[in-house]
Amino acid sequence: MENARDSRVRVMVWAGVVAALTLGFAIVPFLTDNLSFMFYMMLWIIMASAFNFVAGLAGYMPFGYVAFYGVGAYATGILYKTLEFPIPLALIGAGLTGATVGLLLAPTLRLRGVYFGIVSLALAMAAKLTISLMPADLTGGSLGLILSSANDPLAAYYAMFVVLLLLLATATWLSMSRTGTALRAIRDDQEAAAVVGVNVVSTRMKAWISAAVFPALVGGVEAWYTNAIDLESSFNLLITAKSIVYAMAGGLGYLVGPILGSGLLYGVDQLIWRQFPTLNLLLLGVIIVLLMLMLPRGIVGAFAQRFSKLRKYIP
Amino acid sequence: MLRIEGLRKNFGGLKALDGLDFEVPPRSILGVLGMNGSGKTTMLNCINGVYIASSGSIQLDGKELTGLKPAQIFDRGVGRTFQVPRVFSRMTLWDNLAVPLLSRSMTRAERDEIRATWLKKVHLFDLRHNYAEELSGGQQKLLELARIMVSRPKLVLLDEPFAGVNPTLSRLLIDVIRDMPGETGCSVVLVSHDLTSIYELSHDIIVMHEGRILARGDAETVQSNPDVVEAYLGA
Amino acid sequence: MNELLLQGLVNGIILGTIYALIGLSLNVIFGVLRVVNFAHGEFIILGAYGAYFAQKLLGLSPFLAMPLIFLAFAAMGYGLYFVLIKRLAKSDDPEHASLLVMFGVAIALGALMLIFFEADSRSLSYTLDPPFFMFGSVIVPTAKLVALGIIVVITAVLAFFLYRTLPGKALRAIIMNRDAVQIVGVNLERMSALTFGLGLGLAGITGVLVALIFPAFSPFIGQDYTLIGFIVIVLGGLGHPVGAVVGGIIFGLTEQTALVYTSGTTATLLGFLLLIGVILVRPTGLFGREALK
Repeated sequence: MENARDSRVRVMVWAGVVAALTLGFAIVPFLTDNLSFMFYMMLWIIMASAFNFVAGLAGYMPFGYVAFYGVGAYATGILYKTLEFPIPLALIGAGLTGATVGLLLAPTLRLRGVYFGIVSLALAMAAKLTISLMPADLTGGSLGLILSSANDPLAAYYAMFVVLLLLLATATWLSMSRTGTALRAIRDDQEAAAVVGVNVVSTRMKAWISAAVFPALVGGVEAWYTNAIDLESSFNLLITAKSIVYAMAGGLGYLVGPILGSGLLYGVDQLIWRQFPTLNLLLLGVIIVLLMLMLPRGIVGAFAQRFSKLRKYIP
Repeated sequence: MLRIEGLRKNFGGLKALDGLDFEVPPRSILGVLGMNGSGKTTMLNCINGVYIASSGSIQLDGKELTGLKPAQIFDRGVGRTFQVPRVFSRMTLWDNLAVPLLSRSMTRAERDEIRATWLKKVHLFDLRHNYAEELSGGQQKLLELARIMVSRPKLVLLDEPFAGVNPTLSRLLIDVIRDMPGETGCSVVLVSHDLTSIYELSHDIIVMHEGRILARGDAETVQSNPDVVEAYLGA
Repeated sequence: MNELLLQGLVNGIILGTIYALIGLSLNVIFGVLRVVNFAHGEFIILGAYGAYFAQKLLGLSPFLAMPLIFLAFAAMGYGLYFVLIKRLAKSDDPEHASLLVMFGVAIALGALMLIFFEADSRSLSYTLDPPFFMFGSVIVPTAKLVALGIIVVITAVLAFFLYRTLPGKALRAIIMNRDAVQIVGVNLERMSALTFGLGLGLAGITGVLVALIFPAFSPFIGQDYTLIGFIVIVLGGLGHPVGAVVGGIIFGLTEQTALVYTSGTTATLLGFLLLIGVILVRPTGLFGREALK
């Protein structure tokens, strides 16, 4: 059947992308002094791609996405510093904490549209306030936590690399399996999906938990990499903003969209405007507006619209 | 096949369905006529679990459907379409038809075959890689019908399938619906206020008015019923 | 009754009306345009800077500046509608698209204010005489009392406009059913642009009031006001004018009475928990309808 070949091509394109990313990020530390640039490139690819799991595949816009990141950072810090877990266990703990918070917040999934987005934002603020109310000898209070004894940027780099591999595997599973088809159907019309037999609640839960675990892991690894955790940077709304912008710029709903978007925009972000933080912020805002007005489906989405014949090959 | 007894649905004080009783025999098409607000769509929503009936019983092959969720009712073999077509707009037609088959145990070849069969039947096979949003309204109605039929339902609920469909597609739709009971063994509940197509397709007709059944019978009986004439022609 | 609690209740009602005003303007915009104005807080702060510079450069008192700021912001809103909002109607998911566009505007506007007005906190050097009134043991600053009066008047005017005048009724008709209104021949586009103007104009006034009653403001705090506004409208029900007023006062009372017993952080947290509790019981808010998906 002709269709089977089409989907084989699509799988091969995706396999190529995965192989290129794996190889590229695996050998980079041997080629460059600028480890930090590539570390943050991975970070944003993961953040934007995991955002795509809920936004692109399931149609939810969690404006409080940063909550998972912040919770992961603090879980790592507390487990390592206060409870003296080794770093790998602390990171696993961060992932589990992310999943737990995701489960706790799952009831909000029955809210729709902007109600969900706004409540998610309020929950992120509530998570930040909750941590600030926890005893200071656990969280470091307003000073935050310093993990200097764990300092090992190269190891942290490869920890992020492992998270990237996990992300690519999850992305493959979520999008190319039956779950992926069910998710897209829910995104387009939840009620109609239920009427043709899709179990809406359990399907979107898979996407939701996946989207909660990755930012938590990323928050933990980033804390390890920089050795510092504090409330303002761990729960900075700009983390949500950048995840959204990178994912949307590439194209929500496609696996390659957030990867392309993060690669391009983060690169531009770093290379040109690093010196002017405020101007950078202004540009971020302007880019969001322009993207939404000019390219609402992102680069990949616009390409797919323009060259509809090739669409079936885009993973 | 389908047996409905004493079906009621209230919204606050409003009685949208006020005691419906009817049966749909196997391999038959039941036409449901009625003005806007007579309770036709509400009835479909109760049968496939979008609404929970206030009281009464809905049985498919002797098994109770009331209280089940839409997805469970679909698994029992009830499919439906919507008044305004609700396709999965940013998925290809081919993927649209994959959704109802997700929970079915079928081989890939079987899945591909039944999808191809139905897309050809509604003349959409050549567009199978297009997004559903690129179809016209009428084509979306055909796609919705195909999406239900690939799951081989026992009972198909069609809500205003001809509304907003141009005459050519409407003709195609009528032909497809007419053949469905014979070809697949399903029964059809066809809700419409388009008299001509109802008369042409239905084996049996009920006329609804203010949540009740005003008249029932074949096309001729219904047409000559004085209550129906009064309700429709305002005589 | 406990005197502190009484003071908390009075503060709660006064701040609640400010929150209600924020919610009201957000809801008018959402109801008519289906746009969630993520940049509302930034516009409020811009209004506060407006009052600051009107006083510093032109020597205008905040009360004289208020109508001018309203008009300037309304004109800006009218223009922005055609630049930003109009094109969103065609997108896949207009509500989310609007949320994101306004999110971008919020970030850009915050950054612009940071560039032009710098990061330092500012405050209005304007005092009323007498600076406060005593009601028994309850102290109410005059500025807050005046703000309360202004908000009550604005709300009354707005209510009169929405429920008694022809353009107001047309506006409410749009809130209830956009499609039907189009058929009836209301000039939807012009109404929409005016609504966005009205919403931003109210944000400007809110900003002047904020500058008047809070000790200081800076480009960073816009987000806080947006969040409060969001909580208020989700609490009351999106798009519902009365819901916004009730939601605002409930939120103000909760926050301020909690403040009597606990820290500011806990009080804010309680406000969030209130929202989450209400929304889980009534997913469309206190006054929301099922139809609002």
